[in-house]
Amino acid sequence: MNELLRKNALSAAVTMALMGGIGMGGMGAAQAAVNVQCAEDDDHDGIPPADIYGNPLDLDDTDQEHVKCMHLTSGDGFAEMSDGHPAYTFGFADETGTDPSVVLTEGILAARWPGPRIVLEQGDEFYLSLSNVGTVMRPDLFDPHTVHYHGFPNAATVFDGVPEVSIAINMGSTLTYYYNVVEPGTFIYHCHVEATEHMEMGMLANLYVHPLQDRIGIGGTEGAPNLATAAPRFGGSGPTGYAYNDGDGTTAYDVEAPIQVSGFDSNFHDAHIQVQPLPFANLRTNYPQINGRGYPDTVLDDVNTPADQVVMHPPRDTDGFLGEGAGTVLNNGDVSQDMGAGISVAAGGRVLLRLSNVSIDRFFTLTAPGLKMQIVGTGARLARGVDGKNLYVDTTSVNFGGGETHDVIIDTAGVAPGTYFLTAAEFYQMSNNTQLDGGLITEIVVN
Amino acid sequence: MTYRFKAVGRLLSGVLLGLTLMPWGATRAEHDIPGITGPTFNLYAAPFNISLPEGSSLYMWGFGDMTGQAGTSLPQYPGPTLIVTEGQDVTINLTNYGVPSTLPTADGPADNPVSIVVAGHHVAATGGTTGLVTNGAKYGETVSYTFTAGKPGTYVYHSLDGPNPGLHVEMGLLGALIVRPADGSRTAYGAGTETDYDQEYLYLLTEADPDVHFQMERGHYGHFTNADRFATVYFANGRVYPDLVQGDYNPLFPHQPYQSLAMSHPRDKVLVRNLNAGHDSHPFHYHGENHRFVGRDGNMLSSDGQVADLGRSDNTINSAPKQSVDAIWTWTGKDLGWDIYGTTNGHTCTDAGDGFDADTREYCADHGKAIPVDLPGVAELTLGGFWSGSPYMGDVGDLPPGEGGLNPNGGYFFVWHSHAEKELTTFDIFPGGSLSAMVVLPTSVDIQ
Repeated sequence: MNELLRKNALSAAVTMALMGGIGMGGMGAAQAAVNVQCAEDDDHDGIPPADIYGNPLDLDDTDQEHVKCMHLTSGDGFAEMSDGHPAYTFGFADETGTDPSVVLTEGILAARWPGPRIVLEQGDEFYLSLSNVGTVMRPDLFDPHTVHYHGFPNAATVFDGVPEVSIAINMGSTLTYYYNVVEPGTFIYHCHVEATEHMEMGMLANLYVHPLQDRIGIGGTEGAPNLATAAPRFGGSGPTGYAYNDGDGTTAYDVEAPIQVSGFDSNFHDAHIQVQPLPFANLRTNYPQINGRGYPDTVLDDVNTPADQVVMHPPRDTDGFLGEGAGTVLNNGDVSQDMGAGISVAAGGRVLLRLSNVSIDRFFTLTAPGLKMQIVGTGARLARGVDGKNLYVDTTSVNFGGGETHDVIIDTAGVAPGTYFLTAAEFYQMSNNTQLDGGLITEIVVN
Repeated sequence: MTYRFKAVGRLLSGVLLGLTLMPWGATRAEHDIPGITGPTFNLYAAPFNISLPEGSSLYMWGFGDMTGQAGTSLPQYPGPTLIVTEGQDVTINLTNYGVPSTLPTADGPADNPVSIVVAGHHVAATGGTTGLVTNGAKYGETVSYTFTAGKPGTYVYHSLDGPNPGLHVEMGLLGALIVRPADGSRTAYGAGTETDYDQEYLYLLTEADPDVHFQMERGHYGHFTNADRFATVYFANGRVYPDLVQGDYNPLFPHQPYQSLAMSHPRDKVLVRNLNAGHDSHPFHYHGENHRFVGRDGNMLSSDGQVADLGRSDNTINSAPKQSVDAIWTWTGKDLGWDIYGTTNGHTCTDAGDGFDADTREYCADHGKAIPVDLPGVAELTLGGFWSGSPYMGDVGDLPPGEGGLNPNGGYFFVWHSHAEKELTTFDIFPGGSLSAMVVLPTSVDIQ
C-alpha cells in the first residue's frame, strides 16, 4: 500500500465513523445500511444470481430472464488525462455481487470514468441499487448522489434522480431504483445532485436498451420468433442486432459502439482536489474526451480484468501535479478509465454509433471523414413521424449538445479498408489541453 | 390527504399560485401563455434593472406595454409576448423612452435607435430614424411597424440596430410573437393538423454576460467588444432558478412577469414553444417523457401542409439562437409497473377502452401494483424542497421539520432545464440559471 492509499484508508475510517455516528444524529436509530434490493435475489444476501449480462454470481438464486439487477457505488476517484495530468473525479463503480458488508470499503476510490455502462433488453425489469460510499479525498463533503436515467419514458419523480424535486441517497446508505424498461434506444445515466459539479466531476455513463426485435426478429412474436431475422444471441441467424423495432431491418448493425463525448475542465478538477471554490462561470472544456479517454487512449481496448491492465494503467500522478510523485497510483489500483472507444468492422459491415453528448458546457459536431452517416434515431426513439413516415437523415456530421443522443448507422459497403477518424469537426478539439493529436478522436478500422 | 406548509416566502407563494383543489373529474381549466393581444400594440423601450437571486442586479434595456393590458406597463424582460391571429393586420407602435440614442465609438458617436424586426415576417416601418435594416426610434421618437400575421407558430422579435447590433438583444430588447391559427381551434397550426393541445407553455431562452450590463450601466459604452462576450447567467422566460417557478406577474419581479413552471395532468397534450432568443445555443432537456416536434420557426413540420407528420421524437432540443421549436409533450405514466396513486387509498381504475381511467387518468394495467422496492427512511435520504414525501401522485408523506413543503398537491415534478449543466448557474452560483420544471398534477387539482 503506497502512502497516498494509506492516507485514503485513514480518511475512509474517519468517514465510516461519521456515517455510523453523528451522521445520523438526531434522527433516531441509525438506519444507514447497504440494502440491496433485487427481485431475483432469493436468499436476500444482496448478491443477485447474475449480473446484467448473465454472468453467474450467486447459484443459490434463480436467474429470471426479464429481471436484471445491478449494484453501483458512488464516490470519488481519479482519472489520468492522456497528457499525464491527473483529474480528481466523482463517479460510479460496479459492485454487483460484492458482499454488502464490504461494499462501502470496496467502493472507496473506485469511481470509474465514465461510469460502468448499462446494457439492457426491452422488457427487462431493472433493479438498480446505488450505495453512496462518500468522497474520501474530500472528507469535508457529505454529498448525496442519485441516478438519473436520462430519457426514461413516462418517468416517476421518485426514480428520476433529481434532488431538488425528489430524493437522493446519503453516505453509507443504499437507494434501489426500479425501472420497467419498455423503450429501446440510446439513453444516458448520470447523477443529478448539484448537477453542474457532479456531472463535470464525471458522474456520467452510457446506458442503452436493445429492442425486442433482437429477440423475436422482424414480424415475430415472443411465442413465435422469426429466427431468420432474430439476433444470434437469441438463437437467430439475423444481424448482431437492431437499434430499434424498425419492422424492416433498416436499423440492423454488425458492430455496436457506444460513443459518449464529454469534456473536462482541468481548472475545475484541480480546484476541487485543492478544496478551492469551483469555477462555475468560467467552466470551459480543455480535455475533450470519448468514453472518458482522450486520443490516443481512446483506441485502447476495454479493461475488464486485472490482467487487462497491460492495456492501460491505473491513474497516476504522472505530471506530478499532486506532488505525489510520477509513479504514485492515485485510486484503489483499478484502471478507472476502463472503456475504450475504438471501432473495428469488417468491410461491408454496418456500425451503429450510439452517440451521446454529456458535455457540461459545449456542443460538439461529430464527423467521420470518408464515411457516410445515417441518423436513424434521436432521444432514444426511432426516427419515424407520428404516422410512421421514415425520418432518417443521411448526413456526414452530427451536431449535438449536452443531453442529446443520436443513433447513427455507418454502412461500410464499398468503403476501402483502412483507418478512419471519428472526431469533432471542431478540429481544435483534437487535443488534450495543450498536447496535440489528442482529445476527441477515435478510430474506425475497416478491415 | 394532509398538507404541509412552511414559511418559505417567495418560493411557496409562487408554487401555490394557480392551484386550487377540485374533486375528481371536475371541469379543468387550461393554461395559455400569458401575454398581450393585438392586433395593435403600443410598446416603448426603456432602461431598467432586474435583481438576480444570487444578490446582484442587472441593468437592462427592454420593451414595455404602454397600455398595461396585462396589468403591467413596466419595461420587462423578455418583452411582452405578443399574441395575434393568422392573417391579422398587426401594428406595433414603438417609442423610445430612454435607451441611449447614440453610443460612442472610436469614430465618434454613432446612432443607436431601437428597432423591431420580426422573424418570418415582412414588416413595413414608418417614422423614426432610418437604421441598419429598418427604421428605429431614437429618444422620444415613435416608429410604426405593420405586417400581416403569417403562418401560425412561434417567432422571435427583437431590436437590431446601432454600432453593435447584437448589443440590443444582449441588453434585453427581445420578445416572443405567437401567431394562432385563424380557425380559432386550440391547436398549434389549425384543426386537423394533429397539433391539438390542452396546456401551452413558452420557454424563451436567453443568456447574459453581466460584464456587458455593468459597463452599459456606467455609461462605458465603448468598454465592450463582442470578442469579450462570455455569458454567465442563463434565463428561461427572463428569470433564473428559483425565481422562475414563482408565478406570472408576481410583484416580486416587477420587470420579469413570466414564470416558466409548467403544469399538466396525466395524458394532457402540452404544447411547448421553445424559443431561443439569445446569442448562444442551448441544449434544453425535458424530463418525464419525450416530446414530438411539430414545427420550427413558424413552419409546421409537414409533408403535405395538412398534418404535422414530419416531427421526430426527442427529449432534448438543440435550441439554436433565434430559432423556435414547437413540440408536444404528454406524460401518461403508462407501463411504470406500479400504481401511481398507491395501493392503500381505495381509488379504483375503470378502463375507458383506451387502457386508462377517464377521471384519474390512471393506466389500469398497473392498478393495484405496489411499488416494487422499499424506499429508505428519511434519515438516509436528502430530501428536495419539491419532494412531497410520497412516491405517489396526489399524496404527501411525513417529512422531518423544515423539509419539503413546496409540493403540497403531491405533483410529479420533472425538471426542464439546459443540459449544458453549466447553465444551471447564475453568475457562478449553483443552483440557478435555466433550471425549470413541469409538474404533473392529479386531475383533482385545477390548472389555471
